[in-house]
Amino acid sequence: MPDVEMKPAKKDEKDKKDDKKSDKKDEKKEEPPKPPPTPVQEIKYNVVLIERGVATLEPRFTNRAMRTQTALRKRLDDVVLRNAIDEVFVKDTPTKQSLLSWLPEPPPPTEAMEVDSAAAAAAAAPPAPKAPLPTAEPVPEVDMYFRLLMMHHFETSPSTYGKALDLGHQTVEKMQALNRRSMDPIAAKVWYALERAYELGSELADARPLFLAAQRTASLRHDDETQASLINRLLRSYIHYSLYDQADKLVSKTTFPASAGNPQFARYHYYLGRIKAVQLNYSAAHANLQQAIRRAPGATLAPGFYQAVHKLFVVVELLMGDIPDRGLFRHPVLEKALVAYFDIVKAVRTGSLSQFQTTLAKHAQQFEADRTFTLIVRLRQNVIKTGIRRLSLSYSRISLRDICVKLHLDSEEDAEYIVGKAIRDGVIDGKIVHERGWMECGGLKGGYGPEVGEVFSRRIGYCLELHNQSVKAMRFPLNAHRKELAAAEGAREREKELAKEIQEGDHDDEDMGGEF
Amino acid sequence: MSLKGQYADLKASFSAQPPDLAKSGRLLTQLKLGLIQAGLLLPQGDLNAADLVVAREILEIGAFWSIRTQDVPSFDRYFSQLQTFYTDYATLPPSQHEYPIRGLHLIRLLTQNRIADFHTALESLPAAAVESPFIAHPVNLERWLMEGSYAKVWGARAEAPAAEYGYFVDSLMGTIRNEIASCEETAYESLPLKDAATLLFFTSQSELLVFAQQRGWEVNLTAGTITFAKKGEETMDIPKERIIAASLLYARELEQIV
Repeated sequence: MPDVEMKPAKKDEKDKKDDKKSDKKDEKKEEPPKPPPTPVQEIKYNVVLIERGVATLEPRFTNRAMRTQTALRKRLDDVVLRNAIDEVFVKDTPTKQSLLSWLPEPPPPTEAMEVDSAAAAAAAAPPAPKAPLPTAEPVPEVDMYFRLLMMHHFETSPSTYGKALDLGHQTVEKMQALNRRSMDPIAAKVWYALERAYELGSELADARPLFLAAQRTASLRHDDETQASLINRLLRSYIHYSLYDQADKLVSKTTFPASAGNPQFARYHYYLGRIKAVQLNYSAAHANLQQAIRRAPGATLAPGFYQAVHKLFVVVELLMGDIPDRGLFRHPVLEKALVAYFDIVKAVRTGSLSQFQTTLAKHAQQFEADRTFTLIVRLRQNVIKTGIRRLSLSYSRISLRDICVKLHLDSEEDAEYIVGKAIRDGVIDGKIVHERGWMECGGLKGGYGPEVGEVFSRRIGYCLELHNQSVKAMRFPLNAHRKELAAAEGAREREKELAKEIQEGDHDDEDMGGEF
Repeated sequence: MSLKGQYADLKASFSAQPPDLAKSGRLLTQLKLGLIQAGLLLPQGDLNAADLVVAREILEIGAFWSIRTQDVPSFDRYFSQLQTFYTDYATLPPSQHEYPIRGLHLIRLLTQNRIADFHTALESLPAAAVESPFIAHPVNLERWLMEGSYAKVWGARAEAPAAEYGYFVDSLMGTIRNEIASCEETAYESLPLKDAATLLFFTSQSELLVFAQQRGWEVNLTAGTITFAKKGEETMDIPKERIIAASLLYARELEQIV
């Protein structure tokens, strides 16, 4: 038990620190609670946050409540949810009734439960005074929050998937009828939970019409977060069924809201990268995957996503003709997951077709599970190109027969065509002398030319973009400019005084000068 | 006449030896009208599975028919109509014609050099599909085309798994010849006429000469060689406008930062 408690507790403290940092300016200081909070307490704390978010029209409070979701999700059970609902909804209202109706009847009170609720009550005492619970009905957002928690809870066991689905449908209907902007961050998560419910029931395809309709509604209401979440839901569903054509059309017909959160952006870029890679647009795929890696949470926080993106990233980089950084394969999170890909990289790097084929056969199952198999099969031509490039660098003249033997090609005839194609595609610089049956390789080009300028301008463009993005990402507290204004006012005063003093000083100097 | 009767008629006339293409065409038009009335041409919602299978088969015959009559745009139309049946109604009993038609679609994309679409279409197929000879054939062709083993593509002409594949071979060969020609232009300075003919898979010299004229090659008949005109001495012009535009952009951005 203490093991389980430790992690969320630390997380909560970290959250508190975040709180303090951002709250210093507009909120009075809060005492970070010492005892590790029970799930019930954490839920109540989040409810307070949500209510504050609704009251101040600041979505970031709600977002902060959502942040604990992952940790909280694992600790939910029927009893916790029932207690939390009992404590938050003081009066017996229809909302409370409908919420409780989803949970199974409480078992006869056992000792453990008493202890739990007693502890919760005791622990809940400190946060209560700082934001007294409203005596009236809590805001609808809180209702939605509980529904979300319940959905996540139902999705933990196969027997309640159906229940999660029903609850999801009811919740979505209610959510759309209410149409409150302050509900958006929660709504986005509810859609996620609903998709998960569909997927666990393996009926993901059936959810598509519902999501499409909801996406249209969300974009009409300028509900950015729900929109972002739904676009990702749809893309995921399309890609799950390998419907890249439809996914591509969805992307071209929708605009991903720029204000969406980083996690949504990371997912979106990952899906885009996948689509682009399938369409052979490797440089675009590379850019998207890079964005996905940058925007995703750290490697240890979300290792699954990190590994998945890197798998695709390595393949795309190989397809572009680059060799991925070796350090990537030593990363503690990636090392094990990328072993198969490391072997492929080695085969491509040496340009050995036979090694490539054996590696491909050896890891075929993993690649198919990762859904990168078809992409990796495309690498064959890159292997050949690398081989030819190595030969052209080391020989100034080589017979087609030798090329054929060295690259394990089937016939000399093939070798001639392949080399011809490599020359046309600009892989190597040289020419074929047909009469003598050899290839003559041209010398290396100097490293200076318009290409250099292009590379520089690309890099500069990237740096400028990064700078602009980070400026945009900065957040300024409300009314902070007043203080600055005051400070500026003060500075001006001081300057005036200084000027005065200098003036006076000048006089002194002159006086002194006069005396000397 | 009922749909069922027309359907039986179509089947009979299409599978006859040799198939009665003109009659099949007429029947197909009538059947499509019938399908629209029954709401089966672009099916939506839950429909009788047996009806759907019949509709699918009619469209499949239509797809084969359009290839036999060399009407490629019509094949495209039939294929996109069939896609609904293949992807959205996966619960139907699988059709034995599905893979041949998908394979034909893939070859068609190859002949037009629509490689991106080719891969998108390929990706949407289950992994098991690649083992079917109908799909494996275009997949292999694409691989050889990409790495430049044109001789293998040429050799695979005879290995087509279905008669309909042959209809695309000619246009595919045209694509390949153009590919080879563009490779030769850069890779060789000059080439003997006889070797050029073998490389381009021409059997007679006159065909080669016509082709050489189209590409604008210099043919020296007395020496028996083709000389490829080098595309100028790659003049290195400095992209002035681009550099100026870039510099101005930097200046503006820097101004914003400072």
